[in-house]
Amino acid sequence: MLNEITVTINGDEHHLGVRQNETLQDVLRLRLGLTGTKKGCEVGVCGSCTVLLDGEPVNSCLVLAASLTGKEVTTIEGLAEGGRLHPLQASFLHHGAVQCGYCTPGMLLSAKALIDRNPDPTEEEILSAFGGNLCRCTGYVKIVEAVQGYREFLDPEECPPCPPPDEESPYPVVGRSVIRKDAPDRVTGRAVYTGDLSLPGMLYGKILTSTIAHAKITKLDVSRAEAFPGVKAVITAKDVSNVIYGVSPARYDEMIFATDKVRYIGDEIAAVAAIDEATAQAALELIEVEYEELPAVFNVADATAEGAPVLHEKYPTNINVVVDQNFGDVEAGFAEADAVVSRSFTGNRTYQAPIEPHASLARWEADGRLTLWSSTQTPHYMHYMMARVLEVPMAQIRIIKPAVGGGFGGKAETTPLDFCSSYLAKVTGRPVMMKYARNEMFMHNRGRHRQEIELKIGVRKDGSITAVKQTVHLDGGAYTSFGIITTYYAGSMVPTLYKLPNYKYQGYRVYTNLPACGAFRGHGCPHPRFAFETLLSEAAEAIGMDDFDIRQKNAMTPNTSTVNELSILSCEFPATLAQARQASGWDKKKGHLPKGRGIGVGCGGFVSGAGYPIYRSRFPHSNAVIRVLEDGHAATLHIAAAEIGQGSDTVLTQIAAEEMGVPYETILMADCDSDISPIDLGSYSSRVTLMGGNAVKMAASRVKDQLFEIAGRRLGVPPTGLMAMEGRIFVAERPEVGMDWAEAARIAFSEAGPLVGTGFYEPPRLGGSYKGAAVGTSPAYSFGTIVMEVAVDLETGKVKVLDCTDFHDSGQIVNPTTAHGQVHGAIVMSIGETLMEEVLFTEDGQVRNPNLHEYLIPTAMDTPRISSGFVDSYEPRGPFGAKELGEGATLPIMGALGNAIYDATGVRITELPITPEKILRGLKEQA
Amino acid sequence: MRLEDFQFHAPGKLAEATHLLSVLEGTARVVAGGTDLLADMKQGRLGAAHVVSIAGIPELRGIEDRENVLRIGPLETPNRIAASDAVLRRIRGLADAAGVMAGYQVRNLATIGGNLASAVPSGDLPPALLVAGAVVELTAHDGIRTVSLADFFLGPRKTGLGPDEILTAVIVPHLPAGSGVAYEKFQLRDASALAVVGVAARLTIADGVIATARLAVGAAAPTPVLIPEVAELLEGKPPGAEVFAAAARIASEEVKPISDLRGSAAYRRDLVRVLAGRALTRAEGRCRNEEVPSC
Ligand SMILES: Cc1cc2nc3c(=O)[nH]c(=O)nc-3n(C[C@@H](O)[C@@H](O)[C@H](O)COP(=O)(O)OP(=O)(O)OC[C@H]3O[C@@H](n4cnc5c(N)ncnc54)[C@H](O)[C@@H]3O)c2cc1C
Ligand code: FES
Ligand code: FES
Repeated sequence: MLNEITVTINGDEHHLGVRQNETLQDVLRLRLGLTGTKKGCEVGVCGSCTVLLDGEPVNSCLVLAASLTGKEVTTIEGLAEGGRLHPLQASFLHHGAVQCGYCTPGMLLSAKALIDRNPDPTEEEILSAFGGNLCRCTGYVKIVEAVQGYREFLDPEECPPCPPPDEESPYPVVGRSVIRKDAPDRVTGRAVYTGDLSLPGMLYGKILTSTIAHAKITKLDVSRAEAFPGVKAVITAKDVSNVIYGVSPARYDEMIFATDKVRYIGDEIAAVAAIDEATAQAALELIEVEYEELPAVFNVADATAEGAPVLHEKYPTNINVVVDQNFGDVEAGFAEADAVVSRSFTGNRTYQAPIEPHASLARWEADGRLTLWSSTQTPHYMHYMMARVLEVPMAQIRIIKPAVGGGFGGKAETTPLDFCSSYLAKVTGRPVMMKYARNEMFMHNRGRHRQEIELKIGVRKDGSITAVKQTVHLDGGAYTSFGIITTYYAGSMVPTLYKLPNYKYQGYRVYTNLPACGAFRGHGCPHPRFAFETLLSEAAEAIGMDDFDIRQKNAMTPNTSTVNELSILSCEFPATLAQARQASGWDKKKGHLPKGRGIGVGCGGFVSGAGYPIYRSRFPHSNAVIRVLEDGHAATLHIAAAEIGQGSDTVLTQIAAEEMGVPYETILMADCDSDISPIDLGSYSSRVTLMGGNAVKMAASRVKDQLFEIAGRRLGVPPTGLMAMEGRIFVAERPEVGMDWAEAARIAFSEAGPLVGTGFYEPPRLGGSYKGAAVGTSPAYSFGTIVMEVAVDLETGKVKVLDCTDFHDSGQIVNPTTAHGQVHGAIVMSIGETLMEEVLFTEDGQVRNPNLHEYLIPTAMDTPRISSGFVDSYEPRGPFGAKELGEGATLPIMGALGNAIYDATGVRITELPITPEKILRGLKEQA
Repeated sequence: MRLEDFQFHAPGKLAEATHLLSVLEGTARVVAGGTDLLADMKQGRLGAAHVVSIAGIPELRGIEDRENVLRIGPLETPNRIAASDAVLRRIRGLADAAGVMAGYQVRNLATIGGNLASAVPSGDLPPALLVAGAVVELTAHDGIRTVSLADFFLGPRKTGLGPDEILTAVIVPHLPAGSGVAYEKFQLRDASALAVVGVAARLTIADGVIATARLAVGAAAPTPVLIPEVAELLEGKPPGAEVFAAAARIASEEVKPISDLRGSAAYRRDLVRVLAGRALTRAEGRCRNEEVPSC
């Protein structure tokens, strides 16, 4: 039965018949197409569905539509009036408060209500107003700044949304904080994420997963589900490809549906397509599965014990990756040391928890091709994997990546949603939408591996490191996913920061009956870096040296080959140390803070893109096409790099504009669509700025070359003497002699048809020849240092992070505002991982905290003061000297925070996360 | 995630609502703000054939400072309670608690009636109400009764509310002059998190001596609970750090915490002791109209 309601939405009165159990969120999204109201959790925790109800912000997922008569609702689509941005929207653009944008509508509506009730809120009041709006990208810093600064945008005539004042930069476009390409759509609710799409006749799919961690399936009967009204198809293993897939070809070990047995709670068994999500969900419950339960293992020790149950026959010891690397002579190195320190550390299993849940929409076209829209950060690998598993040529599949609401590594692989939506769409002949609910995201997981680390460092009295030995056991879960690479990274990135003369690394990745782990921001490296930075500070203490001094003593320098044969060109690590030390007031504070207050330093860095692709291919890693529009006043950049919130579309268009010599605004970004844009390997290993940027720069320079030919002819000078800048081509030595860029482009078009430039990037051959030498190679490495100050409540153990002072060497910064935003987001995310985050399991392998209410990530109220800076640097292999930032920025934090807590309390917690309870226990033991 | 189908009713008057509940004979659930109920139903923790919304019943709203009591309508939200002059004047600790619940949006939807009726052990509003001796008014189609809040909670998510009853008021007796109430919450992040432990303290000080002391604890027993031993220890003594510490210790011994995701039982006992000390100190400051900052 339907309830009639009359409700005003964004000023328009709507008469609707709503179902009794329909929420306001669904009415807005599904009935009215107002998909700016997001859906991140459905249970009131994330705030992405925030709307104003009679002027007050509420979670629309918790409001029954039937109760709305007489109410007024304002959604993000109603915030801009008469086509004019609300001052808050303009301020969000100006301050760079938008990254993936998934939280943005909710943030803006919370902010709107705040300034309506209090036009001059204090910082405290702003933070408190955002307590129920989770953001995983921005660290909240710029969002708060945007609210503080909204008054500047009260008069849209006087102050339209504009970028912040120019930063210092040798370039007209690169190095400037231009407004992100995608931000205007994100502040107005126009941005379309996969889960917002809707196609005529669209069905919804759901996956049935195992409820037992390790079992043989003895019976599977889908007949009752098939007969359920509204169900259009049910598929099981017999209906789909039996091609085995995964991430690294050497360890493909996954199938779309379990055939022989299930290996974790969450392993896929069957999928249903139905007329709506609720029907599909209900039908799952009608599928009968009988299991013969097998013994299961849930940790490394049990999985590697004698006689442990085996997950995959091929790996009878459950150890599916072994790394054994030895550089120099560690034993001799330890013998030379004046002090040798060693410790065990445990890295926590954490989850990326992007606010946008995974979604996938598939449709088979009339010509027999498959179109797949997916929230992916690696559209090319998805393309490759879909073709492999579906056993069709890649050309028969079209992959479209709409806006993506954060990934952090969690959207770097082809998911069962993508396979199932494609098969269900095929069987039913209708488009099929599939989404993970929040708990399903946790079950699918692919988060950070839990690592058990043994680390030993030898140092001389002067602080120089003589040897390092590290052994890591990684709890991998039931499948390999990215695990080979993770295992290598956990070791290979240790020698990039400090010069290690002798280094030994042993890594073991172990299968357990838990959801598979994958790649998570900083891939494999944050835990070993936490261990290293902690133990290095202990070594300093042992020889009576300052934390900074020992780091400077060993710091990496430019143009160095590391002990494991990684080639480092630019390196301003020492400068990041010096500047962080100075700016944080380290020398005044260290050792002089009262008990309960502490200061700590940590360092880290990362690759700027992996030197080798995940599967062997002959494609260059990044490829770009720039097509200049006919009138010469705009150009479209085509590159299937994956903007997932980090700002890569903006950075790439800036690079194109810079190289072509035109204003940033004239470069348009084409959709990330495999039919339109050439491949790029995607957003992982922090690769897009350097690799995508190099490809774009080449494409742009090829456009420019063509125009210089024409301009040279026109101006009667050799093309080599020309320059282009801000839409003008001119003689370098006589800038007054020149012509309009667009004019030259029009001539080019009229003479020879479309003006197009293509470019590609393929990293140089890198790395040594030992086994696994490829992992860790990269054209360039970033470096960074952070100083963190904390206050610890000595009675409860609660840590309040007060101040962070961060300096990074990321080469030439292409867009300072987005770069600072990456640092803020990395800091706050890593604070969460260090202090509160951990995916926990019951004794039988069920996730205990599969929601954002129990898996806690930091809120605005948990954010410290952050000061972020970049040191002068130029990377010769990067476009305009640029290199990576997004992942490297996470690496210094865990160690710095652990060191600061130690400084405040005298307690060393080596098992992450460092919870108040562990600190209090440590304090008690100390007393 | 799926909300099972149900019949939705939105009576405009209390009498209609109680009548409906009596007719539906236990097959219905009341919904006020929906922040607990919808989240529970969506996660399959409960179901109901009928949902009776009381959100549109005007007589269930309002905060009235009457002659001897503060009467709070069950539909009042944490945001309104935290900002209410009457609450700040009469039972400041309730405003503390309302202000640290959940996040801002949930504080607009959630209701005090729902917070009590949910009887989640970690609920933030019960402790302050317990120490103030609050009673709840329960209305059925055939009568009204009042129950002291201390007797209302029966177990985790279990109350004395009959299937046909609606909680129609929270009644807080005025505390004598020289009284102060404070609430301390420990949470694992600084917003939108349930209490690991919550402690409310109330003191009435006359002639330099504690005339009345009450301490209540949330999230450390199957229900929010008063700790009577604290009253025994403190009453008749002058306030001071030492007696507060002794009282806090007793409180930590008397609670019956469990270990869960948020903390072990032993840690919870530590927290009860620490928070009890802080809550007593702040309550004492409030007896003298001084604000002691919360940690
Ligand atoms: C993200 C999130 C964070 C939260 N954080 C906190 C927190 O920090 N602290 C905290 O204490 N709580 C927290 N909560 C829970 C809190 O929102 C609820 O306890 C709220 O107060 C319940 O009120 P409601 O009106 O929404 O109840 P509803 O969901 O409408 O109802 C809850 C229950 O009470 C019954 N009920 C409601 N009103 C009445 C009435 N007048 N008479 C009889 N029965 C009634 C209903 O039948 C139902 O069983 C949180 C909830 C969410 C979603
Ligand atoms: S979707 Fe409503 S709060 Fe998350
Ligand atoms: S920008 Fe906030 S979640 Fe991505």
